[in-house]
Amino acid sequence: MIGLEHYIIVSSLLFSIGFFGVLLRKNTLVIYMCLELMLNAANLALVAFSRYHGGMGGNVFVFFTITVAAAEVAVGLAIIVALFRKRQTVEVEELNALKN
Amino acid sequence: MTDVFFYIFSTAALAAGVGVVVSRNTVNGAMFLIGTFLSMAAMFVLLEAYFLAVIQVLVYAGAVMVLFLFIIMLLDVRESAAKKTSVYTWVASIVGLAILIVGAVSIVSAESIKTKAAALPEPSGASLKPFGYELFTTYLLPMQVTGFLLLIAMIGVIALSKKLDTDGAAK
Amino acid sequence: MGSELYAYGLLAIPLFSATAIAFFFRRSGGIATGVSIGAAALILATALHLIFKVDNFEYNASWIEIGSFSVDFGFLIDDLAKLMLFVVAFVGFLVHVFSYGYMKDDPDRARFFGGLSIFMFSMLGLVMASGLVTLFIFWELVGFSSYMLIGFYLDKPSAAAASKKAFIVNRVGDFGFLIGIVMVFSYFGTFSLSSLAGEFHEDASLLDSASVTAIGLLLFCGTVGKSGQLPLHVWLPDAMEGPTPVSALIHAATMVAAGVFLLCRTGFLMTADALQVITWVGVATALVAGFTAIAQRDIKKILAYSTVSQLGYMVAAFGLGSLVALGGGESHGHAIVTGGVAAAMFHLTTHAFFKALLFLGSGSVIHACHHEQDIFRMGGLRNRMPITFWTFTIALAALIGTPFITAGFYSKDAILALAYQQSSPAFFCLVLGAVLTAFYMIRLWKIAFLGSPKSESAEHAKENSLVMTIPLCLLAIGSVLGGFVWAYPRALKPIIEVGESVAHGEHHTVVAIFSVVAWTVGLVGAWLIYRGGAEKDSLESSAKPVYRVLNEKFYFDQVYDWYVAKVQQPVAMTLHFLEQIALSGLIIRGMAGVAGLIGIGLRSLHVGSLHNYVYWFIGGLVLFWVLAIGIF
Repeated sequence: MIGLEHYIIVSSLLFSIGFFGVLLRKNTLVIYMCLELMLNAANLALVAFSRYHGGMGGNVFVFFTITVAAAEVAVGLAIIVALFRKRQTVEVEELNALKN
Repeated sequence: MTDVFFYIFSTAALAAGVGVVVSRNTVNGAMFLIGTFLSMAAMFVLLEAYFLAVIQVLVYAGAVMVLFLFIIMLLDVRESAAKKTSVYTWVASIVGLAILIVGAVSIVSAESIKTKAAALPEPSGASLKPFGYELFTTYLLPMQVTGFLLLIAMIGVIALSKKLDTDGAAK
Repeated sequence: MGSELYAYGLLAIPLFSATAIAFFFRRSGGIATGVSIGAAALILATALHLIFKVDNFEYNASWIEIGSFSVDFGFLIDDLAKLMLFVVAFVGFLVHVFSYGYMKDDPDRARFFGGLSIFMFSMLGLVMASGLVTLFIFWELVGFSSYMLIGFYLDKPSAAAASKKAFIVNRVGDFGFLIGIVMVFSYFGTFSLSSLAGEFHEDASLLDSASVTAIGLLLFCGTVGKSGQLPLHVWLPDAMEGPTPVSALIHAATMVAAGVFLLCRTGFLMTADALQVITWVGVATALVAGFTAIAQRDIKKILAYSTVSQLGYMVAAFGLGSLVALGGGESHGHAIVTGGVAAAMFHLTTHAFFKALLFLGSGSVIHACHHEQDIFRMGGLRNRMPITFWTFTIALAALIGTPFITAGFYSKDAILALAYQQSSPAFFCLVLGAVLTAFYMIRLWKIAFLGSPKSESAEHAKENSLVMTIPLCLLAIGSVLGGFVWAYPRALKPIIEVGESVAHGEHHTVVAIFSVVAWTVGLVGAWLIYRGGAEKDSLESSAKPVYRVLNEKFYFDQVYDWYVAKVQQPVAMTLHFLEQIALSGLIIRGMAGVAGLIGIGLRSLHVGSLHNYVYWFIGGLVLFWVLAIGIF
């Protein structure tokens, strides 16, 4: 039988995959996509908890999360575009303007 | 039967996730991400949260990923050669993985998690009506605020995408 | 009139001379020369009076008193000190006179004579010191004057490097010496040499403890540094960068002998184990230096390595003789002058005469050849500089131990006799050393003096003035007569007598035969191998790898350079780094430093690299996790 623990494990694995993506890639867009992956993993965990423990809270929360994530993606991508116009690059290392 | 579907879709989701992280070509990565989202939607269906499954496909796979693809093609991203990963990366990766494993194991082995499938409560997200009811009574404030948030996001995006000339004035 | 006034006078005269030169006569070289030579003459007169007319005495004045800790300043004038005083004052005076001629053309000679005066002050203080702390103070002062005089030629970077090297290598030895002194105080509660001797005289079982062995070896460290024993011998050959009178006085006759003097002063606390170590260090030094001298080209370097080798002989003599005395059951307190001390001091005295003469002679040669120091560019000096040639030959004959007629023969015999009695391997090593001594000195003699001149400056060499030749003659007389006890005045006899009796001990025929054989082998060997007035080294052409090892001084310098660069520097840089953070950052600058450090720390958070932020994120996550679990 599939229990809650299965969903939690899947969620954790997906989260870690996204996390490694943030760590290892240096293209801003790819980092952003991995961020979305992490968000999705959290969503899965929330829905699973909501299903197995009863109550509406988890589902509604995921609803809001998806909405806010969409807004965030829009704004984030706009920022990236503006940055690209200024600096002609989206590599994270080359964007670094702080002197070490 | 549903167990088989669970395993199929979870494997698909994880494989697509790995694909996002490793693919050199950014568009391929975006495609893999769409695959992940679709698998996630399937898992939502398995969890009997049908509304959310549809929302996931519509908003995430439909709007967000399209936006991503537009931007990727606008910026014409090329993946450059991979550099050597520094030692910090390895350390951080291992630490992060360790935390995750420890956390997942500890959560999963807690008593309150283990439920018997036979004693499952009512699926509350199955029908739309109670969903809408909750949204407009208990969670009314967050709903309104989210509305404002979307408005602000829209304004923000418009403001950010204006071309600025050299003395900073917006056209 | 207490007798200590003479001792104070001996210290005051050179100090006054040095101060006067430093303050008033810096620019007037002539007056400075006069002041210094006058001071040296006065010192000689006072020393002779002290030696002949004043009985042995000890004088102590309380100097530092902090609660129960007290250090005395005093003089201990006994037979040992009197002999050493004679050597220092006599050779010192002759070197001063010689320097008048040698440094006549040098514009900086006021500084030179000031340095010589400071040296005389330090050396006399060292010889007369009655306690270990006073001795150490003058020990360091002698090191300082050596540093000042080696680096006399300000325009030669090699001279500055050599003076630095001398001081630092000496420091290494002095470190052990200082620890030894502290240990002496912690065990016996006193620094005074006579009270320490008294304690050992009363309780002979003290010689069995391991801590006394440790004390003995630590005090020996000072000798290893100052007297150029292996492995701290590397500074002596480089010290030849100084003017030749300095080499003659300091690095041949007196300062380097201070190490041997220290051994003789503290002989009563040497245990059998310590003496074994001392003996073998001395033997090893004698051999290694002898081998190195065979392949050197610079006349002063050959003489420097010869000095190192002879110092090894003296140290070995002390060790062997004291072992013989311990084995024979003599109690230390009865005869402070044991066979070892006597043999070492005997050789020290004769060595002072002929080595100073050799150096002054080489100085005369260098001066005449317009500062040419490579022996392969000399040659044919025999006819051009007869007095120098004959005095040099006499000193050379003494050094290689020409039988019966020279002082060196008797003093070396004493050492070989002690070795024969105590330890056969040491005996054969020392005999080999005698062969080597004869070998390299005859090599030097043939190439530099015989044959025909090999360079312009050698052709135009002519004998120097009387001022430079008379000291040579006086020292030559000492080199010949120094071996015969009847030549010494009564006051200096006691130690020399014991030394002579050791030479004429039971096995003296065997020993004499061995030493004559060694002398012959070395002489004939060098005579055949090297042509007179040669231009190239025959050994170099025939046995190149051997020659190279010897020429490079067994690579000691290279090993030390590697050690300093690769081991010491990283440690020093690490300590510097820690000091910057801990001391300069936190303790000295206090709050400002702490704020600065926190600033540096926090600034590293804001590097701008996205990945770094993620790392910090993980760090914070771990921290929260740990807090949540409840470890803290």
